[in-house]
Amino acid sequence: MDGEKKKTATNNGSIKGVVEAKKQGQPKAAALQKNVGLLSSICLIVGTMIGSGIFISPKSVLEGTGAVGPSLCVWAACGVLATLGALCYAELGTMITKSGGEYPYLMEGFGPVLAYLYSWTTVIVLKPSSFAIIALSCAEYASTPFYPGCTPPQVITKCLAAACILIITVVNCLSVKLAYRVQNFFTAAKLLIIVIIVVSGIVLLAQGNTQNFKDSFTGASTSFGTIGLAFYNGLWAYDGWNQLNFITEELKNPYRNLPLAIIIGIPLVTVCYILVNIAYFTVMTPVELLQSPAVAVTFGDRVLYPLSWVVPLFVVFSTFGAANGSCFTAGRLTYVAGREGHMVRILSYISVKRYTPAPALMFNGILSIIYTIPADINTLINYFSFAQWVFYGLTCAALIVMRFTRKKLHRPVKIPIIIPVVVVIVSCYLVLAPIIDKPEIEYLYCTVFIVGGLLLYVPLIHFKFNWIRHITIMTEVPPLMNTPRCSPRGRLTRQGRLRQGHE
Amino acid sequence: MSLTKITNIDALELEDGVQNAAFQEDEDRPHSEPAIVSFTGQEEVAYTQIKPYAGMPKEVLMLYSKQARYRVPREILFWLIIVCTLVLIGVTIAIVALSPRCLSWWQVSPVYQVYPRSFKDSNADGVGDLKGIKEKLSHFDYLNIKAIWISPFYKSPMRDFGYDVEDFRQIDPLFGTMQDFDDLLASMHDKGLKLIMDYIPNHTSDEHIWFQLSRNGTEPYKDYYIWVNCTEDKPPNNWVSVFGNSTWEYDETRKQCYFHQFLKEQPDLNFRNPLVIQEMTDIIHFWLQKGVDGFRMDAVKHMLEAKHLRNEPQVDPDQDPSTVDTEFELFHDYTYSQLGLHEILTNWRVEMDIYSREPGRHRFMVIESYDYEEIEKTMRYYGTSYATESDFPFNFYLLDLPDALSGNRAKELVDVWMKNMPEGKWPNWVVGNHDKPRIATSAGREYVRAINMMLLTLPGTPTTYYGEEIGMVNVNVSVIQDPFGKFNPNNSRDPQRTPMQWSDKINAGFSDNETGTWLDIAPDYDTVNVEAQQADSNSIISQYRTLSLLRGAELALSRGWFCYVRSDTNVFAYLREMDGKQNAFLVVLNFGEDTETDLLSVSELPDVLTVHLSTTPINQKTFSKSRIPTSKGQGLLLQYSTNKRFHSNHASECYVSEKACYFPALDILYKC
Repeated sequence: MDGEKKKTATNNGSIKGVVEAKKQGQPKAAALQKNVGLLSSICLIVGTMIGSGIFISPKSVLEGTGAVGPSLCVWAACGVLATLGALCYAELGTMITKSGGEYPYLMEGFGPVLAYLYSWTTVIVLKPSSFAIIALSCAEYASTPFYPGCTPPQVITKCLAAACILIITVVNCLSVKLAYRVQNFFTAAKLLIIVIIVVSGIVLLAQGNTQNFKDSFTGASTSFGTIGLAFYNGLWAYDGWNQLNFITEELKNPYRNLPLAIIIGIPLVTVCYILVNIAYFTVMTPVELLQSPAVAVTFGDRVLYPLSWVVPLFVVFSTFGAANGSCFTAGRLTYVAGREGHMVRILSYISVKRYTPAPALMFNGILSIIYTIPADINTLINYFSFAQWVFYGLTCAALIVMRFTRKKLHRPVKIPIIIPVVVVIVSCYLVLAPIIDKPEIEYLYCTVFIVGGLLLYVPLIHFKFNWIRHITIMTEVPPLMNTPRCSPRGRLTRQGRLRQGHE
Repeated sequence: MSLTKITNIDALELEDGVQNAAFQEDEDRPHSEPAIVSFTGQEEVAYTQIKPYAGMPKEVLMLYSKQARYRVPREILFWLIIVCTLVLIGVTIAIVALSPRCLSWWQVSPVYQVYPRSFKDSNADGVGDLKGIKEKLSHFDYLNIKAIWISPFYKSPMRDFGYDVEDFRQIDPLFGTMQDFDDLLASMHDKGLKLIMDYIPNHTSDEHIWFQLSRNGTEPYKDYYIWVNCTEDKPPNNWVSVFGNSTWEYDETRKQCYFHQFLKEQPDLNFRNPLVIQEMTDIIHFWLQKGVDGFRMDAVKHMLEAKHLRNEPQVDPDQDPSTVDTEFELFHDYTYSQLGLHEILTNWRVEMDIYSREPGRHRFMVIESYDYEEIEKTMRYYGTSYATESDFPFNFYLLDLPDALSGNRAKELVDVWMKNMPEGKWPNWVVGNHDKPRIATSAGREYVRAINMMLLTLPGTPTTYYGEEIGMVNVNVSVIQDPFGKFNPNNSRDPQRTPMQWSDKINAGFSDNETGTWLDIAPDYDTVNVEAQQADSNSIISQYRTLSLLRGAELALSRGWFCYVRSDTNVFAYLREMDGKQNAFLVVLNFGEDTETDLLSVSELPDVLTVHLSTTPINQKTFSKSRIPTSKGQGLLLQYSTNKRFHSNHASECYVSEKACYFPALDILYKC
């Protein structure tokens, strides 16, 4: 128990330490700083959610729904679903103010093994691969204008994607502030292009281009499976609604800003998406939309000529911003997983001078670059996306569980229990639908890989590496010794103390 | 990790920093006396005694991190990453800047001509239709063909089977409805296929509303056609139509003669009238807006005529002028390829370019113009350095191949195009269409495979008329349907228009109509059909498919150099190679009798050539370059690997549209 005492003591000191260190202009203990305000939070949500999805997904949603009307409904429904999910996360985020997204909630709700599996899958596969994919699509959009009518050589997209990953990782390692500036700039850029598309759509509507909205429900698909697919694709464009929970510790006044950012950010995105879809339909018939390789670019070609080049340019900006957001949060998750001892410890170290989780970011960046190399990584990664929904579902289930097991926890935001129930049911559907629809052996591989992570559970936590300290010094990242592991015994005390620290 | 390296501190590290006394001390000190904490010399001394370990406090770390052995690699690594990023971006920019233009869809795929009356009948009326084409789209997938040209299906009284258009904005009920067309176009685009429409600017049907209004003098249609004062029995001049007899037809209603270069039911539009040009341009817009991917411009050389209406000179000055009634008895100095034609076409090109802005949506324009020995007139349709025009005019010269079939003749005809084509343009090859006898009949069935191999291995876009992929032949139909054939049975185009042979079922699988089809089915359909040939890996269609796939996959075939290697009475041999690619192809085509070719003198070829495809079954897998035997009508596609390039030593024997080199390490093309 002595050790326990010491841990909490140092823990308590850490936060004070940071505050004092700041006052004295001489930082003592390295920890992530609280410098993410409301605007930046909204930017992070909007910036990560609006990636390339809205510029590509309308096609797949329309494919699944079969007609304009239902397609717009699906977009709205996806927005509602994302909001519901985010509300659950708002409760969790304000209840357990720890960075790392689902990780701490799964830890509290279901214990370390599930949390470990989550961090294993996410840190090793989901986060770096999604970073890689966003970087690849950014590279693709950046290079296709130079190759009209054919696909750019692989080497170009790979080089650009790698460069994109390197730049973003370096920026994120160098400064949190810089990373936020990048994020805010690119969010502004993507909002600008959305505004351009929406405004030209409204102008076209006013000019009477409404033929595609007549009888917009005829030909609607009634198959349960295809509509599920439409939802899947729509939600892909909304993916990123949980981003803020990865950086809870860095939020200024999280109890106010976290829920507020969610309530402002996600409906904003939903409205944007619906308006953008309406704009698309003013110039494209459903058939044309289905046949367009990149809907937004086609829109630009038809409406904005001779300025049609702005669309691919801004889509590049948008994807770059999304990549930045993804990298930002991935670093936080890896860092938390390392801190809790579920990954090699060095991943939890934080740069002394720059207050960035540099090792975690570098680890994520290196994995991402590796993921850009194989030719058909996209297909394999797609199979892993079902894992994403498993964890969303589990996290909301954790919320329900904790309503019973952790009644005493302070919940600044308390949402009706029906919301997490709905999210759990929907995520069950989203996980099972594609598997039942098209059962493929790859899903089994993914499951084996995820569960197989348990084999590394023990070595990862107990094995120490001697060379790490050299890296530590070289990258100027001392370990964060003063933040204790979230051990089953210690966590509640820590939560309590954390709150005391704030109040 | 060697055991000897484990020191005291290492051991401590293993026990985790929490129980590390030294760590605790360091950690506690600043809390108790925060003011003292600074990088004072005293402290430095204190810290230097401690070796670095995991869990060390910041001060210790900073101390060590300043040491050169940590600082230098850190700096180096950092700048290395920056340099790496810059290099990656630089490489990308360099590759983009060096990349040659990529091939457009009409260059990548062969063009397949569908004659809609004869392709597939979906409603059992004995005549093919649009729904039928839609049913058979998988055929193009099988052949790896992406560009489909469909002969006209506009509303028409069918005097010239669709080339007499009554309404350019409607589908003839025989072929289906506009909905059928939209469905066809959508499903073609879904499959990545491009639809090329026939566009017939020269004339309309006499039942077109414009002509009806023009005939009774209604403005503004009065001058939509070419009207000249004349009497019933005396035409204004000696001009004759393509289908025979005078180009002038007296009209009872208007009491004037109207001009027609084809049938009298096909009055020529007056392209000197700006309103007509506007009307026809609007029609181009109408179809482009629907999403059509290109136009084959029909009979454009006939669009304009001299206004002075002078008699055209006779080919034989001594011939009695009253007996001059066919196209080839006059020099068409005043009725063909008149000044102003290219301006009209260039303007249409500009209109089409408006719709070509979306990447991958280039709207294709191909010109039909038979200029025979005046090939420079054909080449003019490629456009000039200051004005783009068509993507290419059809190359009809290979149609003359059967006249005197030989290796030399083949080379000569190929060279006619290659040496006259403006530099940097894209060649193309036609061996048959709805106006010309099938090559399998005119050249002989035994040469069909070699001709298909030539078509698909020459540089440029091949055009395949439906049925050529299975070796269909002319059919002696029992009832002549072609109006041109009714004028002179020897000119009938029905034999090359018989229904496509899909299977050995009723009507060759073309139609379910039990009372027959619009033209007779070829008697050989039970063996010559798609289904039977697909099952046979040595069939004409299987070889076509193999070559078509290879053409798409091999850079040397799709955009490499083309060099003549040998031609004699029997054999025509050429090679296709690509700078930077070891793999190259030698094509040996036999258009004569069995022979053996000795290519020992071609030093760039390696001694041993591997057979990639032989049109006739052979046992040998490789040939020595000194002895390449070919039998009558055999085509041999030989593959070899070498670093020597033929074109660098034989510049005059070689052509390439746009130079590009392959860089294998990165799998890219670059300008060179």
